[in-house]
Amino acid sequence: MGADTQAARFEKLGGKIMCTCSCAQMLLKCNHVGCPNSAQMIQQLHAQVNSQPDDEKVLQWFREQWGVTAVVEPATHGFELIAWLLPPVVAALCLGLLIFIVLTWRKRAIAAGPPDTHLDPHMEALRARARQETEI
Amino acid sequence: MPLLGSFCLLFALALSAYCFVVGIVGAVRKDFVGYRMAETARRAGMATFAAVTLAAFALVWSAFANDFSVSYILHHSNRALPAPYKFAVLWSGQEGSLLFWSWLLACYGFVLRLRHKVDQRLVANTSMVLAGIQVFFLLLCNFVANPFGMEPGPMAADGNGLNPLLQYPEMVIHPPMLYLGYVGFSLPFAFALAALIMRYPGEKWIHITRRWTMVTWLFLSCGIALGAHWAYAVLGWGGYWGWDPVENASLLPWITGTAFLHSVMMQEKRGMMKMWNIWLIFTTFMLAILGTMLTRGGAVSSVHAFAQSAIGAWFYWFLGIVFVVCLVFFIINRDHLASENRLESLVSRESSFMFNNLVLLAATFAVLCGTLFPILSEAVRGYKITVGGPFFNKVVIPIGLFLIFLTAVGPLLAWGSTSWGSIKRNFAVPFLASVVLGGGLIAFGVRPFPDMAHFYTFLGALITLDYLIHFPDMTHFYAWLTFVLSTLVIVTIASEFIRGGMVLRGKLSTNLLAAIYHLTRRNMRRYGGYVVHFGMILFFIGVAGQAFNQEKEQEMGIGDKLQVGHYTLTLTADNHDDTPLYESWATILDVQKNGKPYTTLYPERRGYKASGGQPLTVVANHISLQEDLYVIYEGQNDGRPIIKAFINPLVVWVWIGVLVVVLGTGLALVPNAARVTVPVPAAATAMERQQGMQPAGVGK
Repeated sequence: MGADTQAARFEKLGGKIMCTCSCAQMLLKCNHVGCPNSAQMIQQLHAQVNSQPDDEKVLQWFREQWGVTAVVEPATHGFELIAWLLPPVVAALCLGLLIFIVLTWRKRAIAAGPPDTHLDPHMEALRARARQETEI
Repeated sequence: MPLLGSFCLLFALALSAYCFVVGIVGAVRKDFVGYRMAETARRAGMATFAAVTLAAFALVWSAFANDFSVSYILHHSNRALPAPYKFAVLWSGQEGSLLFWSWLLACYGFVLRLRHKVDQRLVANTSMVLAGIQVFFLLLCNFVANPFGMEPGPMAADGNGLNPLLQYPEMVIHPPMLYLGYVGFSLPFAFALAALIMRYPGEKWIHITRRWTMVTWLFLSCGIALGAHWAYAVLGWGGYWGWDPVENASLLPWITGTAFLHSVMMQEKRGMMKMWNIWLIFTTFMLAILGTMLTRGGAVSSVHAFAQSAIGAWFYWFLGIVFVVCLVFFIINRDHLASENRLESLVSRESSFMFNNLVLLAATFAVLCGTLFPILSEAVRGYKITVGGPFFNKVVIPIGLFLIFLTAVGPLLAWGSTSWGSIKRNFAVPFLASVVLGGGLIAFGVRPFPDMAHFYTFLGALITLDYLIHFPDMTHFYAWLTFVLSTLVIVTIASEFIRGGMVLRGKLSTNLLAAIYHLTRRNMRRYGGYVVHFGMILFFIGVAGQAFNQEKEQEMGIGDKLQVGHYTLTLTADNHDDTPLYESWATILDVQKNGKPYTTLYPERRGYKASGGQPLTVVANHISLQEDLYVIYEGQNDGRPIIKAFINPLVVWVWIGVLVVVLGTGLALVPNAARVTVPVPAAATAMERQQGMQPAGVGK
C-alpha cells in the first residue's frame, strides 16, 4: 500500500474519530495546547493505519480503547450502511406514496365528473361556525 | 419537610389514581351518576395539583434549609449555592426533574379542569387521559426515583453542590421552558385521544387546543434555543448545537409539533388529514416520552443523560401502553376520521402543506434514526456505535434546505389548485431577487464550490445516487444555497404583506404601513405565521454562517499577540481569584480590528470547589451583527494561559431569529381586530342543541 493511500486513510479515519478530551472536536481538528488525549490518539491512529488494512477494524479498535463515543460516523458499508440509507429511502417512499395518493384522488375525481359539492351540511355548518369563532 | 413531601407525593398519587379510575367510570356511565362521578374526578384532579405543589415546595424548602439528610439535596446543592440556583436544584437531577415534570403536568391539568365549562364532556375525558399520564409520573416519583430519599447515618456538613455547568442564569430558565414544552404536549394529546374515544363531532377539539399547542410549541422552541445559547455561552467549544441525543430528543417533538401546527389548518379549512393529525399529535407526545426514556434510562450516551438506571424499563412499558391505547381507539373509531375533501392538484396550498408535513416527517425520521441507531447497532452487532454531528449534518441539512424552499412556495399557492399564470405572477419577483443575490454572492467571493473539480465531484455523486455516502464537503454550497433560498422566502413574505397592504390601502384610504398594520390585525394567525417564518429564515441564515468559521489557539504570555482573521488579541494581564464558591483564572485581552482598537475581553476559567474543582469556562464574546469574536481561556501550560479565539460569522442572527419567532407566535396568539360574520345555518344550531354542545370560547 503506497504512502499516499495510507495518508488518505489516516485523514479519512481521523475525520470519523472524536478527540475524547471533551472538546467535542474531531481528532485531527483538535489542536488544544496540552490536550491530554489527542497527541496519543493521533499516534495510535498512525500505528493502526500502518498495521491494520481494514478501516472498520481500526475504528472498532478505537471504540474498544477510548469508548464507543470516540467514533462518530456510521460506516458506509455493511450493517451501518443502513443508517445512511434509511432516511432517504423512507423519505422517497413517503414521497412516492403521497404522489400516488394525489394521482389516485385526481383520477377518481375526473371519473366521477364535476366535484361533489354536497358536503355533509352538518359538518360544514359546524366548520363555518368554528371558523367564525376562531377567527380564521 | 421531607416527610411532608413524601406524604404529599403519595397523596397526589392516590388523588390522580382516583381521578383516572373514576373518570373512566364517569365516561362509561352517561347518566346523572356518571356526571357526578366525573365531577368528583375533576375535583380530585385539581387537588392533585395542590398535593404535588406542596411536594415540590418541600423539596425546594429542603434545598434552602440545607437539609443534607435528604439524599437528593446532598448530591445537588451546597451551603454556598446562591439562592436562584437553589430553585434550580428542583430540576437538576433525575428525581427532582421527574417531580418537576409531575408538577407541571398537574399545573396544566389544574388550568384545564378549572376551565371545564368550555365543553364539560370533552374536558372530563381529557382530564381522565391527563390523570393517566399523571399516575405514571407519580408512580415513578413515589417508587422508582423518590426525591425525598434519606441519607443513612449523620447528616453531612455540606453538600456536593449543583453541577457548575448548571450555575448559569439561563440554566434557571432553560429546563423549565423545555419541560413546559414537553409536558405541554400532553394536553393536545389528551384532547385528541379524548375526542377520538368519544367520537367527538367536528374539529372543535382542534380549535380548543390550538392556543394550547402554540403556547406549548413556543415554550419548547424557547427551551431549545435557551439550551443552545447556554451551550454556546458556557460549554466553550464555539458552537451551539452538537446533535447530542438529548438535544435530538428535544428536537423530535418540536419537529412533529411544527408539522401538527401546519396540518391542523388542513383539517380546519378543508376537513382533510384527520387521521394524519390525530397520529401527529400522538407521535409528538410519544416522542416526548421516548426522549425522556432514552436519556433518563441511559439507553444512549449523552453529556446530559443521567446514569443507567431501572427507570428506562418503566418508560418502555408506559410508551407501549400509550401506543396500544392509541392504536386500539384509532382502529375502533377510524371511520369517524374520514376525510371530507380530496386533494385536487399537486400544485395547491393543500399539497404544499402535505409536502411540508412530509419533509418535516423525513427530518424527524432522520434524527430519530441517527439517535436510535446506536441501540439498534448494539442489538444487532453487539457494540454501540456513536452517531454524531457529521452524520446529522449530511442527512438533515438537505432536508432543511428543501423545507426553506417550501416555506417560500407554500404561501403563494392557492387553495384547491393554482394556475400557471398565478405561479408566474407570484414567483417572478422573489425568484429574480434570489437569482440576483446568488450571483452577487458569487461575485463577492461566497462561492458554492471552491473549484470546478469540486463541482464535477458533486455532479458525479448526484448522478450515481451516491449523494449521502461518498460526498465531498458541501459546507459552502449549503451556505450559499441557504442565502439564496432565504432571499426567496423573505421576498415572498414581504410581497404577501405589501400586496395585501396595497389592497387595503385603497379601501381604508390610508398609507401602506398603516394598511399593513390593519391587515395583520385582521388575520393575526396568518400574518403572525409569516413573522414566524421570517424568524426561522433569520435563524437559518445564522446557522449558514458556520460555514465561514475561523479559529486559532495559542499559549500566551503578557504582551503576546494572537492573530485570528482581521483581529489581533494582545494579552495585557493575567489574574487569579479565590472565592468561597470557586477558584478562577482570567486574562485581559486588548483587541484590535484591522489594526484599530476595538474592544477588551476577559475570558475566565473557574474551578468549583464543592464539585472537586470541576472546571467551567466563562466565554468572552464580543457580538456584532456581522460576527462574534468568541474567546475562551482554555487552560494553562507551565503557568502561561492558553487562549483560543473563534470568529463565528452571523451567529447573532440565530438568536435574533428565535426572538422574531417568539414575536410571531405571540402575534398569532392574539385575537383578530375585526371578526368576519359567518351565518350559521339553522340546521346546525338545531343539531347542536340536540347534542348539548356549547359554543367554543365559553369559559375562556
